[in-house]
Amino acid sequence: MIEVEGTLKSRLAIWLLATVSALGVLLLVEAYFSSQHAAERAYDSQLEAAALTIAEAVQWEAGQPVVKIPSAALQILATRHQERVFYAVLDADGQRVSGNLDLDIAPEWRRRASSQPIWMNEAYQGTQWRLYGRELDSAGWETQDPVQIWVGHTMTGREALTEVLFEQAVTRFVIMVLLAGILMLLAMRVALAPLRRLRQQLRRRDADDMRPLDTRVPEEMREMAETLDSLFTRQRQGREALLRFTADASHQLKTPLAGLQTTSELALKRDSPDAWRQALVEVHGSAERTSRLASQLLSMARLRHAVEANATSRIDALALLHETAFDWAQRDAAQAHDIGLAPLPASPQYIQGEVWALRELLGNLIDNALRYTPPGSVITLGAVCHAQTLELYIEDDGPGVSPDVMAHLHHPFERGDRQDTEGSGLGLAIVDSIVRRHEARMQVESAEKGGLRVRLLFPYLTQHEEE
Amino acid sequence: MRLLVIEDDPLIARSLEQALTPLGNIVEVFTHHAQAREALQGGQFDLVLLDLGLPDGNGLTLLAELRQRGDTTPVLILTARDGVDDRVEGLDLGADDYLAKPFSLAELEARVRALLRRSQQRVDNRLVFGALTFDAASGVVTLNDRVLDLPRRELCLLEGLMLHAGSITPREALENRLFGYGDVGPNALEVYISRLRKRLDGSGLRIRTFRGLGYRLEEVSS
Repeated sequence: MIEVEGTLKSRLAIWLLATVSALGVLLLVEAYFSSQHAAERAYDSQLEAAALTIAEAVQWEAGQPVVKIPSAALQILATRHQERVFYAVLDADGQRVSGNLDLDIAPEWRRRASSQPIWMNEAYQGTQWRLYGRELDSAGWETQDPVQIWVGHTMTGREALTEVLFEQAVTRFVIMVLLAGILMLLAMRVALAPLRRLRQQLRRRDADDMRPLDTRVPEEMREMAETLDSLFTRQRQGREALLRFTADASHQLKTPLAGLQTTSELALKRDSPDAWRQALVEVHGSAERTSRLASQLLSMARLRHAVEANATSRIDALALLHETAFDWAQRDAAQAHDIGLAPLPASPQYIQGEVWALRELLGNLIDNALRYTPPGSVITLGAVCHAQTLELYIEDDGPGVSPDVMAHLHHPFERGDRQDTEGSGLGLAIVDSIVRRHEARMQVESAEKGGLRVRLLFPYLTQHEEE
Repeated sequence: MRLLVIEDDPLIARSLEQALTPLGNIVEVFTHHAQAREALQGGQFDLVLLDLGLPDGNGLTLLAELRQRGDTTPVLILTARDGVDDRVEGLDLGADDYLAKPFSLAELEARVRALLRRSQQRVDNRLVFGALTFDAASGVVTLNDRVLDLPRRELCLLEGLMLHAGSITPREALENRLFGYGDVGPNALEVYISRLRKRLDGSGLRIRTFRGLGYRLEEVSS
């Protein structure tokens, strides 16, 4: 089941957008503060320059400082933002020698300015002012008194400059983001091109085209392409096996059907009821064999092509053995034999497996025992609990087989060197593949009473699997 | 006895008809789901032989409908699919027995006889097998029309065997019937079986042992 969950593009875009916005917020905050800082520095140095220009204009007349403010100083202070400008020159006692506004310079400020130049922000007449104060050792002819020079202006210019600088930074950032976005779209187109190519190739494929892929892919997609390739390979193998099996099966079925055809054809040409009867007996036997062959071929096909993973369940092997023995003992085919069940272990014994396959396994073994032993033979099913494995066995007191034949009994179409009884020899091959599917082992040996004993050793269901 | 055969393959249908008619039965054959449904709603049958793969519908739905109406006519399912799931589903829906194709006619006849016997027993509350009859109400057993006076446990055992006559009665079921659910020795049941065997000697009936599985009351084949 394929569930479409967004697109790669939107996923990439969302990630990119998230990181860019987080980064953008940081960058913008930083840009704002550095614009403010730059504006501050620019205007502060203007204030400083103005203060120096004023300082140079301080002159002493009769021991008193006299200031003639040069227009240059005020020009420096006056920006194009129509700011209000403040200046004051104070003598050593704090008396105002010159000034333009009645902004009070507190004694505390004077004291601090006397040691080193100070900067301060101050509210006056409802607006924020930036003030700069410094002390000047202005030497007159007679006296040497310090003079303090204070300058200041309102903040409009700074704010405007900050704004301009910040706007520029934002513009640069937005342009960068747009460019990055366009580049990202282009990059995604380029990066996803191999995926698109692969998709087109797969779409163009015929339903039964199982050849390996022929395309260029980047390293990241190699695993996927290889997985696809191996899927194609397995499908091809599966299909070939199916074709081979179908051919084998039809060949197998053709032989008895040909027999049926010729026998009935011959009988139709004859006139004697005895000949008809003889032919009918042969037809009946052959039809029975063909039915059995068909159901065995079906089991074989089911075993080979079973793709139902996890179809296994926890099975009580003893109950299954009992049930299968019960079922077979009732059958018409078993009436001439003595089928029985040896006393079973008292407690249930669990194994992991597929019920139908295990039933088929036991049924095939019973069927074989019925077919390859003379009427009246004793066939016994039973179970033995070993330390590591659970043994299910079936033994008979028939003629048995020689040891060298025993080794390759489970190859398909092998009948233990016997041509006297009917059968395709598929039974043990089915048994063998079911045994392997259950990770069990099969041992065929001579029974104590001279017949054959088939032992099936199953691993117990472990505690881990039981959970 | 009226038998209804629902089977779409003409060859099989014909041989079923020919095989079952000599058992003293009226056999009606239908090849389609719809016809069979009509026949089932109309008439009274003693046994239904139902093929699951019909051209116009699944036989299992027909079975489910039948049981939903409260009709307890015995149903024997015939199918080419021998999957376990199908079998379980069929029996869950109320089928009485199940036979996978291909089957031998001898086997089919045996199963049909067993089902008809059960059907008959439902009607007159009497078990009949060969020369034996058992009246469930009075507990009287007759063999060749002569009353057989049996001790309680032998009577109990014979009833158990006759309920499943023709097929194997599991030994656990017989043991529970005779001795309750307590522990009994392995030979206790065998003692009563051999006593019954002596009584049935020469009656044309016998009790066959299936080692470890159970016992079957069957007719001695010539």
